[in-house]
Amino acid sequence: MVDVRENWRVALLVVFILIAGFALLSPTLAADDGAAGSDVAATSSVTNLQYGLELSGGTRVRAPLVGVTAEDVSFGADSTRAVEQAVADELENAGPADVIARTGVPAGQQSSAQAQSETTSTVEVTAENVTTDELAAALDATGYATEETEVRDGVTDATRQEVVRILQNKINEAGLSGGTVQQVTTAQGENYVLVEVPNQDASSVRELVSERGTVVIEAYYPTGNGSYARDVVLQQEDFQSIGTAQEGRSGGAYVPVTVSESVAPEFQQSMVDTGLAQQGGTRCVYQQDRNNTEACLLLVVNGEVTNAFGMSPGLADTLRSGEWAQDPVFQLQTTNVSEAQDVAINLRAGALPAQLDFSQESGGTVSYISPSQGADFRINSLITGIIAVLAVSGTVFVRYSDVRIAAPMIVTALSEVVILLGFAAGIGYPLDLSVIAGFIAVIGTGVDDLIIIADEVMAEGEINSRRVFQSRFRKAFWVIGAAAATTIIAMSPLAILSLGDLQGFAIFTILGVVVGVLITRPAYGDILRSLTTVDR
Amino acid sequence: MVEFTVPEVDYTRYTNRQLAAIPLAVLVVALLIIAGWYVMTGSPVNQGIAFTGGTEVQVAIDGPQSAAEEQIRQAFSAEPETIRSVPAQNVYVITFQSEAGSVGAAGLERQAQDAGLDVRSVSSVSASFGSNTQVLALGGLGVAFLGMSVLVFAMFRVFVPSIAVVISAFSDIVIPLALMNVLGIELSLGTVAALLMLIGYSVDSDILLNNHILRRSGDFYESTYRAMRTGVTMTLTSITAMIVMTITATLFGIQLLAAIGTVLVFGLAADLMNTYLLNLSLLRWYKFKGVAR
Repeated sequence: MVDVRENWRVALLVVFILIAGFALLSPTLAADDGAAGSDVAATSSVTNLQYGLELSGGTRVRAPLVGVTAEDVSFGADSTRAVEQAVADELENAGPADVIARTGVPAGQQSSAQAQSETTSTVEVTAENVTTDELAAALDATGYATEETEVRDGVTDATRQEVVRILQNKINEAGLSGGTVQQVTTAQGENYVLVEVPNQDASSVRELVSERGTVVIEAYYPTGNGSYARDVVLQQEDFQSIGTAQEGRSGGAYVPVTVSESVAPEFQQSMVDTGLAQQGGTRCVYQQDRNNTEACLLLVVNGEVTNAFGMSPGLADTLRSGEWAQDPVFQLQTTNVSEAQDVAINLRAGALPAQLDFSQESGGTVSYISPSQGADFRINSLITGIIAVLAVSGTVFVRYSDVRIAAPMIVTALSEVVILLGFAAGIGYPLDLSVIAGFIAVIGTGVDDLIIIADEVMAEGEINSRRVFQSRFRKAFWVIGAAAATTIIAMSPLAILSLGDLQGFAIFTILGVVVGVLITRPAYGDILRSLTTVDR
Repeated sequence: MVEFTVPEVDYTRYTNRQLAAIPLAVLVVALLIIAGWYVMTGSPVNQGIAFTGGTEVQVAIDGPQSAAEEQIRQAFSAEPETIRSVPAQNVYVITFQSEAGSVGAAGLERQAQDAGLDVRSVSSVSASFGSNTQVLALGGLGVAFLGMSVLVFAMFRVFVPSIAVVISAFSDIVIPLALMNVLGIELSLGTVAALLMLIGYSVDSDILLNNHILRRSGDFYESTYRAMRTGVTMTLTSITAMIVMTITATLFGIQLLAAIGTVLVFGLAADLMNTYLLNLSLLRWYKFKGVAR
């Protein structure tokens, strides 16, 4: 009765629904993010849909990085390390670890075309409470400032990327599966770091990401005239491998570490020089009486001394004899297992070059949805959507009291949602409430358009030829196309600007309108034609 | 075929002035409300925490409401700005203004957990991020409206019918905004989304009406009636769906969907009035007495 050539629009719609169905249900396309861990919600459901935090539960943290940056600085002949030290000395609130000097390619050594695009050297200070003025003054005092030097709030892109990488490591190391870290830029050009972790509450995520995570080992030793000196003997990057945190035999816990070969002899020497490796080792009473103790090793995490321990006689012997450097293993002693785990995570992930800024003025946001709330939202918004569709169906049936017009209308409108859901599943776009609002908008405009088509086509009674149908259909389409164009224009600013929470809404409304106008709504015209003109 | 009847209004009984008077009067009242709000509060609409900054905590508490509210007040060190209950779920939505030195989202979460409350969600927005969002939302709305206006003028290429569509759309957005103020609904990301949707919805029926009257042969009133039959069906269908959605979403405590639904119901109702009184009277004036053509 109907051949495919005449009903190609319907055929196209069926093809699209099948593809969408495949994307939605096929287990072969199920999310497999490998090491990063698939989204918790996605694995627990029968479809391939991924849910955003609003619908699955978890924490989202968005914050800028603490820091001020000076661009177009000239280091002269100094190394970056010397620059960092010199600038830090001029600043009251910052140590050398808070200053990052980066050399761009010196303009003179480049061909002139490239020199324009290359950035010159920068100095960043990532300590809290350092203002742009203070940094500018420090640069003037050290003589690194040039005519072009500009000091601004914020950090460089290289630092942000490093933060993102380290935070991702930290989240993976802490075993929070499905957590993601990314850099986002607002329309005003402000940069934020966005952290999303499923199934974790806000305080634990914040604790994890807000620590700088610096771990250093310092030697604390008497200098002979009654006072003590503190020297950094091992830094984060001096470790070659980091073992798993273990419980010690006599209480406490430790992390077994291997010092990298290049640093080992130096460390060995400093142990001997500071007296830590003296005959019989040292007994450390730093915690009880720091002014009256033998030499100690201090474990300093985030700038605070978390533990102090002496040297065992055996280890002291191998250090003195120089054997230790052949097999440079060592145990970082901590007071308890959770501290040992923290140290291990921080050592493996690395220290953050800059901290996330959670202060009120910073422009950060924190949100947490409990997993039960997410599950409730998922089911309830589905129910809400179904009820809304039923309401639409009811109205349409009452209005036309003709199943041949109304039933295909509902089916067509729903097929738009199926196609969009398939699209979301196919590209792995996480569904959240704003996307669901987009679906509702699509059903709304979709049914409106179908009503226009139906009324136009059915107007003035009988349709007795294909030509009459075509001309009426085309007239209806003018209105639909015009309305679709305005909707797309109205939504496009939100789709492009990353207003975060409304972007999904805008993207899916536009997609829905495009799919509707190009695929589903023309198909409805064909269905209507075959139902109203053929059996005549 | 039996249809539910879209009543055929006898427009010939009313002058253009009479027809336009009602929607214009409503528009003026709406603008006055918004202006008054601006004078009194310094902001044209009530802004939610997404724009002003602040923290919202949702907790589930069994038991009578007054006891629950007492429990909530005791749990937090900061004074809640508002406490709302979500019917049917024993969930309470508590908002806090952002203030310098306040405990912040993680702190509030911990306080709630320490007090043994079942925390359903916490969200916090800092003031400066909120004001960025505000600029972006208003800018987005402005650009969307402007884009729509340009497109409408490009499509019809005649001034009066085009401006009629634009004025209707403007009024469709302003009236719900005024109603939001009166009913104490805050501007949130959801309501901004709804206002954007309104641009699309309102233009739908206006374009339909213009198209029928300007581009089709036939009597003015006949074209009007045909456009109305389709247009009113469209709008009523949407209103029904949105009323139902608002009610269910409110019961379930899905604020975003409830906010979208409420604003759309207002806007669509305003659209019915604006399209078939304001837009129609302008079109009739243009068609019969308008500029020499």
